[in-house]
Order: sequence, then structure tokens, then C-alpha cells
Amino acid sequence: MGRGLSRVAAVAANTFRETVRERVLYNLVFFAILMTASGLLLGQLSIRQDEKILIDIGLGAIDLFGTLIAVFIGVGLVSKEIERRSLYPLLAKPLSRGELFLGKFAGLVFTLLVNVAVMMAGLYATLAATGRGVEPRLLAAAYATLLGLVLVVAIAMLFSTVTSSVLASVLSVGVVVAGRFSDVVRHMGEVLPGAPRWLSEVLYAVIPNFQNFDFKDRVAYGDPVPASVLAWVTVYAAAYVTVVLAVGLASFQSRDFQ
Amino acid sequence: MEEAPLVVRGLTKSYRVGHIRQSLRPALTDLDLDVRAGEILGYVGPNGSGKTTTLKLLTGLLRPDRGEARFFGLALGARAWRHRVGYLPEHPYLYDYLTPVEYLDYVGRLFGMSAARRRERTRELLALVGLERASGTPMRRFSKGMMQRAGLAQALVNDPDLLLLDEPMSGLDPLGRRLVRNLILELRRAGKTVLFSTHILSDAETLCDRVAVLRAGRLLSVGTLGEILHPDVAHLEVLVGGVGEGLGAVGGVVRQEAVGERTRLEVEEGALGRVIGAVEATGGRVLSVLPVRQSLEDYFVSEMAGSGGGADAWGEG
Repeated sequence: MGRGLSRVAAVAANTFRETVRERVLYNLVFFAILMTASGLLLGQLSIRQDEKILIDIGLGAIDLFGTLIAVFIGVGLVSKEIERRSLYPLLAKPLSRGELFLGKFAGLVFTLLVNVAVMMAGLYATLAATGRGVEPRLLAAAYATLLGLVLVVAIAMLFSTVTSSVLASVLSVGVVVAGRFSDVVRHMGEVLPGAPRWLSEVLYAVIPNFQNFDFKDRVAYGDPVPASVLAWVTVYAAAYVTVVLAVGLASFQSRDFQ
Repeated sequence: MEEAPLVVRGLTKSYRVGHIRQSLRPALTDLDLDVRAGEILGYVGPNGSGKTTTLKLLTGLLRPDRGEARFFGLALGARAWRHRVGYLPEHPYLYDYLTPVEYLDYVGRLFGMSAARRRERTRELLALVGLERASGTPMRRFSKGMMQRAGLAQALVNDPDLLLLDEPMSGLDPLGRRLVRNLILELRRAGKTVLFSTHILSDAETLCDRVAVLRAGRLLSVGTLGEILHPDVAHLEVLVGGVGEGLGAVGGVVRQEAVGERTRLEVEEGALGRVIGAVEATGGRVLSVLPVRQSLEDYFVSEMAGSGGGADAWGEG
């Protein structure tokens, strides 16, 4: 492993250690699993819909709580370092700002991977409790959700390089919400007649469409997700993550730490 | 020939201030400085004089408006010099969820040290800064002084040839201050070079081979204390007993102050014989005579007064 990569790995490992020691992470994962398990009760209220409701609620919980983890820990990772000045001694070491930034990103992505795996295990355990076996098609939906979460982390880190942690959280949530309702953004003129048309077109073009990562309904109804679709979603996420990280990195590289 | 540890030329930095109407506030102007191998150079000045700005420019936390600096002959942008330099920021904040052992291990990884070397170095450094008993304690439970010691340890992980220390005595109790003072002297004995900023002038007077005095972002003077300070005796301090008031009228007595049953006189150098005669004539006796030379504080107070800044510009903290 090259020296640069080993420094990125050191930062990533430390970031993972930092996030797993955050109490908020355990609270969020606990609530996600609790919410999934509560699907057992809701499923009993509907006729022959219990499995669909369980999968819907389980994958929805992974998505929702994963997004909360990605936004709030993602923002905190960089802005907290800047506000508390803990990066001062590190940046005097043979560690470039780029290595620090990418290491932080990699560490949080790994944290999300572990969290999604734990929450998926909770979902499978809940399904098993109702006598159902492991259904691999759910993994496709979880994979797409994870790709969306990686993009959320990149967006949160970008905002945290240019503004305070509070504003960065608000902006990140705003982009994620807009991306989940991209159809509304595209037709903003119909909802807000005064809004200029160019604005809705620019926002629709720039903000990533988070609906592309949503396969919950599809797998809940038993439809498979073709590999080609997953490959396309992977390329879409990779392209956005690359651009967002590059902009975030450029901002992080150029700023003064007064 | 080995290049100088640090050469700075024309280093300049301004900060943008204000939100709507932005203006530039100069923080450091045309700094030229040479740090020689094996010396302890004190970088002194009041709060806001540009000391921390200088160290942040040198470590890459700030981008200079113009000017350059070279560590061991290498430009600021090069990475190689970072293996030979250690940096302690002012009021260091280290990750509070880590123990000092974990933090030093992390720093060692950034230097590419092997696991065995990291373990060994961590043990050495914790002993050096007196934190062995707190080695497994998360740093969020550390006092300010303990954090400062951990900060010093991280600055020494790579056994640097040059140390940049920003207010290293800040927040330390008397024992901690002595530990850091001894550590700095020990580093010099080991052939290391130390540049440390301080606004505590007695630290600079005690430790430094040379001092660089900074005021309002400009370098006022650099040299040994003997070169910077007036070498002549400023006045004599004469402690006398058994005399009442009235010596103030004797020619050459600048000031008279009662200290318990004794009296302290500030006397011009040429007037000592006359004052002793006057003391004996009134039945008193001279207890001690001390020549008082200009201190770094006297120098700075006079410089600040001369610039209209006032002595109170020398803040605490």
C-alpha cells in the first residue's frame, strides 16, 4: 500500500472509531431496528399484507435512519474538526488536506456499510420471526439505499467545508428532500406560479435524483431488480459522488483555518 | 552544509474583516526571520501581535498573501520537511474520545511508523510528559494542563529536529511549567531547535538563546537579550532599615517605598555614596544594594509606550 493510501486508511480507521463511539449512532440504529420490529404488529392488522408491510417499514427505517446518520455525522466530521481545531496538529504532519478529507469520507462510508448491514440483519431477523426465509432481492434495495447514503455523506461533507455545522445540516437535509421529490422540483412552476422556470430547471439538473436509489416498493411486491439497473445506479452515484467530493475537496484545500 | 532549520522571507498575511463592508486587517507584514540550528528562539509579543498567525502560516493552516519560508532548505509546499518538524498549536484540542495511547498511535501511523515502533515511542513520550498513569483515560476527562502535555507528546512523535511551540506554557500549573521548561532545555541539549511563541516574558528570558520581538504584525528586533536590552545598569535598588521618611529629598533618590519596617529606595547609579551617607546620618543602616538592569518587560513596555500602544496592550492569556 502506498504511503498516501496508508495515511488515508489511518484517517478512515480513526473516523470509524470516532463514529462508533458516538452515542447518537447507537440510538439511531436501535430505533431503526425497533421500527422494523414494530412492523410485526402493523402486519397483523392487515390481511395478507404483513410481509409487504414488514419489508416496507424495514427498508424505510434503514433509509431514514441511514440518512440521519449520514447527514449529522457527515457534517460533524469536518465542521467539528474545524470548529474544535483538532485538525491543526494533524495538518502539520505529512498528511495532506486531500488525504484527511478522503479518509474522513471513507471512514464514514464504512460506518454506514456496517450500520446498513446491522439494520438489514434486524430486518431479516424480524422476517425470520414470522417464518420467512432470507430473501436475497432485499439486498438489491439495501445496496441502492447505501449508494444514496454515500452520496448524502459527500453532500454533507461539502457543505461542512463552507459553512457552520448547523447551516450545513439544514442545507444537506434540504438537498436530500429536494432530491427525493425531484418531480416536484421539476414542476415547481405549477406549485409556485411566481417561481422562474430557469430556477426549477437548474435545480432539477443539479440536485441528484434520490428516487433513483429507491427500490423499496419494487422488492416489497416481489419484483427483482435487474443487475443492469443496479449497475446504472452505481455509475450514477459514482459520478455524483466524484463531482461533489471534488468540489468539497477544492473548498477544503483553499480555506484558511484562522 | 546542513540548511538552516527555518528561513522566512517577506511573509505577509491579512485577514478579511466585516461581513457586508469587508476590509483587510494586516496580521503579519514582511516577516524576515532566521532560526539557527540548535537554538531556542523565543517569539514574543503581546496578544494579537501575529505570533499564532506566523506559526499557522508555517504549518500550512493559513495561506500567505506573499512571502516564503523554507524548512531545512525545503519550500513550504514540500512534504518532506514535515517529517523533521513538530508543532504544538495554542490551546490544543485533541480527540476527546481517544486515549493518549490511541492518539499517539494514530499520529505515528501518519508518519508511516511500524506498529512496534509506535508502541515504543508512545511509551517513551507518555513517560516524558508525565502522563503514564493517564495512558488509558479518554482525553475528554483531561484537565487543560494534561491536554497541553498530550499536545506536546504528539508534537514529538517523529523525534523532530525543529519544534514549533505556540504558547507551550499556557494553562499549565507550576509543576507543568517546570516540566515543559526542562523538556525544552533537554531538547536543546539533544541538538534540537525550538521556536516557541510566548507572551510570558520571564519564560523567554529564562529559556531563550535569542528572542524575536513582534509588535502589531511587524518584527521589532531579533537577537540575544544582551543585544536587545540596554546592558547598562538602569538604577540601584537599596534596602535600608531604621530610617524614617525624608530620604526622598536626598538627591538621586528616584522613589521611596516602605516595606514593613524597612524602606526600599530606587537610586540613580552615581548617587549611591550620597544616599548611603544620608542613611547613616539618620542612624539607619543599608541592608542590601542591587543593580537593576533593563528586563525584557521594561523593554517592551517602553516600546509599546513609544508606539502609543500603551503598556496595557500586553494582555494576559
